[in-house]
Amino acid sequence: MAEEEGESLIHIALGGEELFAIGPFVVTNSMIGALLASLLLLAAAWYVTRQSTLIPSRLQGLLELPVEWVAGIVAGSTSRWRGYVALVIGFFLMILVANWLGLLPGVGTIGLRHGEELVPFVRPAAADLNFTLGLAIITFVVFVWWGIRINGPGGYLKELIGEPRYMAPLMFPIHLISELSRLVSLSMRLFGNVFAGEVLIATMLALTTATVFVLPLAFFVPSIFLGLELLFGAVQAIVFALLTMTYITMAIAEHDGGHEPEHDPRDDHGEPDVHPASSPA
Amino acid sequence: MGPDGDGKREARRDASGEPRPANWGIAFDLGIRLGISVILGLGAGLLLDSWLRTSPLFTLIGMALGIGAAMYTIWDVARDAMRR
Repeated sequence: MAEEEGESLIHIALGGEELFAIGPFVVTNSMIGALLASLLLLAAAWYVTRQSTLIPSRLQGLLELPVEWVAGIVAGSTSRWRGYVALVIGFFLMILVANWLGLLPGVGTIGLRHGEELVPFVRPAAADLNFTLGLAIITFVVFVWWGIRINGPGGYLKELIGEPRYMAPLMFPIHLISELSRLVSLSMRLFGNVFAGEVLIATMLALTTATVFVLPLAFFVPSIFLGLELLFGAVQAIVFALLTMTYITMAIAEHDGGHEPEHDPRDDHGEPDVHPASSPA
Repeated sequence: MGPDGDGKREARRDASGEPRPANWGIAFDLGIRLGISVILGLGAGLLLDSWLRTSPLFTLIGMALGIGAAMYTIWDVARDAMRR
């Protein structure tokens, strides 16, 4: 942050800021945030797969806990849950780690000076709309693909046109807007919450920096908001993952006429199983 | 794995009687999708009007379709909840 007299204490940029370019490919600080989160997850996955034991150590248990929790919820959705459980867990872990990474000291505060502005080396990935829109597009493609897979392209189109057929000129745009609203809602909610959290913490840090000489205890104020951001980061990760699951479940259930068989025959053949934490959707 | 016989109430809650986590997602989603549906319809109408110079014809149609899509979203979510 800037400390010089007359300079703003708050630096807020709506999008990711360019750090360097490799030919036409521009690398932004939010890309570095996403890359760091991916590397952390890869390291954790490497550790769990290489060092895992049947009776888990404390660290292994800690790393397996969120995976088993989300897998338990997804296992209760439809009988085809094995087809999309990895995607839902992947989204949850990626968003969780990316959000929590943004709360580490130095993220958003250490960077390069470009004139009067500081460009941080790392920015929380979800505070950039490109990242959240990318995740939402993946979700959108996957649930449309599930709809087409279950019902065929013609059947999926029939769903969009609706019944009776003469209402198609009215129902098709309505269905289209409703489907697209899922894409926008997923991306904007995550971006809005994480970006608002960043702005809140930056504002609180600036306010307390300005008042700390009068009220020394003011330094504790941002820690309250950091604690809240820890909670919101986890809530947003689970909301995004659960909505992905809900959309896929709805695509499958709609096209199956809502009579999903609850029992997966593969459960009887000794495949690794998770214990659902909830009843089926 | 499946909900036992007594039904719909069971399907909305887990074994401990708490609302199922997937329902939190739906609750978070519904409100924002209502607004976005209207904005998408209105935005598409405004764009069409600016391209075709037919203002306010497509703006009104787009807004009506957006409101329709918002109402359809509520019905869709309610239908899915009743099905479960």
